[in-house]
Amino acid sequence: MTDERTAGVNRRNLLKLTAVAGVVAGAGLLPARSASAAGELSLKGKRIGISATGTDHFFDLQAYNAQIEEVKRLGGEPIAVDAGRNDGKLVSQLQTLIAQKPDAIVQLLGTLSVIDPWLKKAREADIPVLTIDVGSVNSLNNATSDNWGIGKDLALQLVSDIGGEGNIVVFNGFYGVTPCAIRYDQLVNVVKYFPKVQIIQPELRDVIPNTVQDAFTQITAILAKYPEKGSIKAIWSAWDIPQLGATQALTAAGRTEIKTYGVDGSPEVLQLVADPNSPAAADVAQQPAELGRVAIQNVARYLAGETLPRETYVPALLANKQTVGEVSKKLGIG
Amino acid sequence: MLVDAPYIPPSVFGLEEKTSPEPEKSGPALGRRLATLALRGGSLAVFAGVLVFFSIAAPFFLTVGNIGNVLGQSAIAGVLAIGLTIVVIAGGSNVVTGGIDLSLAANMGLSAAVYATLAQAGQGDAVAILGALGTGLAIGAVNAAAVTLAGIVPLLATLAVMNVVAGLELVLTQNTVVPASGEFLSTLSASGPFGVPVLAYVLLGFTLVVAAIVQYTPLGLRLYAVGEYPDAARAAGLPVRSFVAGSFLASGLCGGFAGILSVSYLSGSTTGAGEMLLPVVVTALLGVVFSRRLVPTITGTLLSALFVGFLINGFQLLNISSTLVSGVQGLLILLVVSATTLLCREAV
Repeated sequence: MTDERTAGVNRRNLLKLTAVAGVVAGAGLLPARSASAAGELSLKGKRIGISATGTDHFFDLQAYNAQIEEVKRLGGEPIAVDAGRNDGKLVSQLQTLIAQKPDAIVQLLGTLSVIDPWLKKAREADIPVLTIDVGSVNSLNNATSDNWGIGKDLALQLVSDIGGEGNIVVFNGFYGVTPCAIRYDQLVNVVKYFPKVQIIQPELRDVIPNTVQDAFTQITAILAKYPEKGSIKAIWSAWDIPQLGATQALTAAGRTEIKTYGVDGSPEVLQLVADPNSPAAADVAQQPAELGRVAIQNVARYLAGETLPRETYVPALLANKQTVGEVSKKLGIG
Repeated sequence: MLVDAPYIPPSVFGLEEKTSPEPEKSGPALGRRLATLALRGGSLAVFAGVLVFFSIAAPFFLTVGNIGNVLGQSAIAGVLAIGLTIVVIAGGSNVVTGGIDLSLAANMGLSAAVYATLAQAGQGDAVAILGALGTGLAIGAVNAAAVTLAGIVPLLATLAVMNVVAGLELVLTQNTVVPASGEFLSTLSASGPFGVPVLAYVLLGFTLVVAAIVQYTPLGLRLYAVGEYPDAARAAGLPVRSFVAGSFLASGLCGGFAGILSVSYLSGSTTGAGEMLLPVVVTALLGVVFSRRLVPTITGTLLSALFVGFLINGFQLLNISSTLVSGVQGLLILLVVSATTLLCREAV
C-alpha cells in the first residue's frame, strides 16, 4: 500500500516533473536552438560573392544590405556587386566574380535566360551558387517566398473582393521572370474556376524603367476605353510598382471603385493600402531582409557540410485593408 | 592627365607674347606639339598608372584570365564606339555640328532583337546573322539619307532615328527578354585559347581590320580629309557626301554586329539597350587622348574602351562601389574636352 502510494506519488510527481521539465525544456529549446544554430554558423575566412541585379527597389535593397550584414556578422568577407538593372553589367559582374573564385556566389533576382549560362559556368568552376528568388537548375538552393502561395492568396483576395465576377486588367510584362510567371499562373488557375471573371485582352505590359509613369499612362488609356463604372473591377500586377502607377491613375481619374492588387510590400504601396479611400486593395509583402539573411545562413550551412533543400521558403504576409497595420509593423516600416 | 596640366599654360602664354610683336612660326607649333605630347603621354601615363595600381592592389588583376575577361566585356561597347569613331572622323569632331551617331545603341538593341526573334522562329544562324547585319545597315542607310540627302544635322537626324529604332524594338519584343541559343551563339560566348573569351578575340580582330582600313589605306586618309577639311577635300575632287553617307553605313553595320555580340553575351535580346548610348559616346570622345595628334582614331577608341573596362573591373576586384566609375569617367571627359579646347584655341 505504502509502496503503492509512494510509487503513485512518485509516479505523479514524476509526471509533474517531466511536465515541468518539458515546459522548461520547451521554453528553453526555441531560443536555445536558434542561438546554437547562429552560434555554430560561421563564414570566418570565407569570401562570399553577392551579385544583385539592382538595388533600386525596396525589395532588392533590403535583401542586398541584409546579405552584406549577415556575411559580416558571420565573420566572412562580402564581395557585393550591383548591376543597376543592366543585363550587360550583370553578366560582366558575374564573369568577373567567377574569375575571383569566391567561396560561394549568391545571385539576387535576374532574368533566368540571361544569368543561367553564367551560373552554370560558376558551377563548372566549382563555386557553389545559391540564389534568391530565381529558380535555376544551377543553383544549390533558392531562398524565396512561396510564390505559389503568394499568387494564390492574392488571386483569392481579388476574386473575393470583386464578388467572383467582372473584368480585370492584368500587367504581364515579365513572364520571363520566374516569380512573376508563377504568380501570374496562379491568378489564371484561380480565375479558371470563376467563369464570370474575365481577364481583359490584350494584357498590359509593365516596363522597367519608368514603371510608375508607364503604368499610369496605360491605365489612363484603358479607363478611357472602358468609361462606364463597373466595366473594370480590378487591376492585377505581379509586383507592386505598376500597382502604384495604376492606383495613382485611378485616383486621378476618379475611378476609385476599381481595386488594385500587387506583390512586394513596397512602403509607398502599403501606405496606399492603409488609406481607406485608396483603390489599393491588397499587397502581398515578402520579407526581403529575411530572405537575404536566410540565403547567407544557407551558404554557411552548405560550407559546413550540410545538405541544403532545393528551396527555402520565407513566409509572405498578405496586407489588405484589415491587416496592413500589422504587416507594416512586422516589416519594420512606419 | 595631371602631368600635362603644367605644360599648357606656358605654351598659351608663349603664344600670347610671341604672336603680336614677332610672328615666329616655331613657337606656337612647338608649344602645341609639346602640349599634345604631354596630353597624349599624360593620358597613357594615367592608363598605365591605373593598371599598375590595380595590379598591386588586387593581385588577381594582372592575370591572362582577367585581362581576357575585360577584353570580352568591352567587346560590345568597343565595337559600337569604333562605329561612332568612323562617323566622327568623316563628319568632323565638332560635338554639335560634326559627325555623331546617336542611334547606335538603339541600333544594337533592334539588331539583337531581330536576331533573337529570327532564332526563336526556328531560323538558322546564317539567316539570323544576315537579319541582324541587314537591320544595322538599313538603320545606317536611313541616317545617311537624313544627313546627306535631307541635310539634317547628324545630332538631330540620328536622335530622331534613335527614337524610331527604339520604338521598333519595343514593338518587336513587346519590351520583353527574347532568349536565343544556338551553336554559333554558344561558340561566341565560350572561352577560346588560353581561357580567354572568344569575344575578346573578336574585339581585337575587329579593331585590327577597321584600324587597317581607316589608318593605313588611301580610303582612310580621305575619310580624315573629308572630316577635317571638307572644303579642301571638295576642291580636291573628293565626293564628300558619299564619304559621310558611307561612314553612317559603316556605323550602322557596326550596330548590327554589336547586336549579334550582345545576343551571344546575354543569351538573347534584352531590354535597356538605350542605356549603352552615353557610355559609347564617352568612350569615343575619350579615345581622342589616346591618339598621337589628338584626333579620333580606331586604336585610340579601343584603348579608351579598355580603359573604361579596366576601371570597372578593377573597382569590382577592389570591392569598391561601381557607382564611382561613371564619376571617374566624367572627370576624365571634362579634362579631355578642356585640354583639347585649350589646344584648339591656341592653334587658331
